[in-house]
Amino acid sequence: MATARTTRLSTTDMARVAVFAGIIAALGLPGGVSVFGGVPITAQTLGVMLAGAVLGARLGTLAVAVLLALVAAGLPLLTGGHGGAAAFVGPSGGYLIGWMVGAFVVGAIVHLGGRKPVWWRTAAAMVIGGIACVYAVGIPVQSVVTHLPLGKTVIASLAFLPGDAAKAVIATLVVGTLVRAYPRAFGRTWALPVADDAEASPVPAHR
Amino acid sequence: MVTLYRAGTSIWHRLPAGPKAVLLAVVVLAVSVLPAAHWWVAGAAAAAALVCYGVPGIGMRCLREQLWATRWLLLVTAAGQLVLQGPRPAAVNTARVAAVITVAALLALTTRVTDLLDAIERALPPLQRLGVDPARAALLLSITLTAIPALARTAAAVREAQRARGIRGSLRLFIVPFLVGALKHADELGDALTARGIR
Repeated sequence: MATARTTRLSTTDMARVAVFAGIIAALGLPGGVSVFGGVPITAQTLGVMLAGAVLGARLGTLAVAVLLALVAAGLPLLTGGHGGAAAFVGPSGGYLIGWMVGAFVVGAIVHLGGRKPVWWRTAAAMVIGGIACVYAVGIPVQSVVTHLPLGKTVIASLAFLPGDAAKAVIATLVVGTLVRAYPRAFGRTWALPVADDAEASPVPAHR
Repeated sequence: MVTLYRAGTSIWHRLPAGPKAVLLAVVVLAVSVLPAAHWWVAGAAAAAALVCYGVPGIGMRCLREQLWATRWLLLVTAAGQLVLQGPRPAAVNTARVAAVITVAALLALTTRVTDLLDAIERALPPLQRLGVDPARAALLLSITLTAIPALARTAAAVREAQRARGIRGSLRLFIVPFLVGALKHADELGDALTARGIR
């Protein structure tokens, strides 16, 4: 959150945004899909959650926007090889827009006050941003597109809640692991090698 | 990279990207706002799709392929509607969703990705007032285009390495090494851009 909104995107940030858009795309490729009971569920929402958590609100949203721009341009980058304008006018179109809101909210909560992510805040971010915000945009749009009343659309959408809850858990665990394994990924001041807190000490004597 | 575009010479292929997008959006919107209370709406939705695909050079085979590609979405839509709304709304609304998706699919089917990207880039300058740098945005899109195949390779390499160690099908175990590999690639990409004088 340290950078002002008006600053130009640095090359480092641009590369990170491009690569994260590619990560979300790669999670939709065959093999990146885990199958629960024969119905393919997409790992792409997991990528959206992680985009916000790793890149932060601004860059995470941008990464999702870049992916959606390429999808709109006719690249089959959504799970199952879907893409083009058709993906936006169908029942799941609202969820795609919701991804941008979700990535923003996840990033805002995970990096609240520019602090290091802790597991409970990350978990809250995944539930609020990664699930609630995506549904909050997706369900009303789905209701309009399919002409199913809002209440009934909510009920129909509950079928996807277990999968999304599982992805929120995975995303939380992954962020926790990433903070320890590759803190550079977050590109934040607390991740600098010269961090001044005792935690950064290379000597594990007191553990 | 594989795209949705199919080469051809139909009227849809010959229309420029911008007007075509607008025309298809009008058809999609018209089909979308029809009421669900009448059977004829299902017929009207189907007719819209048939007319759009019926032009010489596109054809019904293409329409069938598009419907087949969206079968899961349509099945889920139909099932939900049938349980919660009854048979007539289910039939009408599923037909409507099928028509909307297939008609919108014509844009990507008949327009080259480069033409659509150009159209998107032409739409960017008005966003300048919101703090969007059009040249920067265009560069970002093209960097992403080249990054995607590299990331697909990274994903395949991680999966192969895990298979060799007997790990299968765990999303969580796959994603951490994939992310670290991908983000290291991002750092190299950033350095490469800087080295080429892009700041």
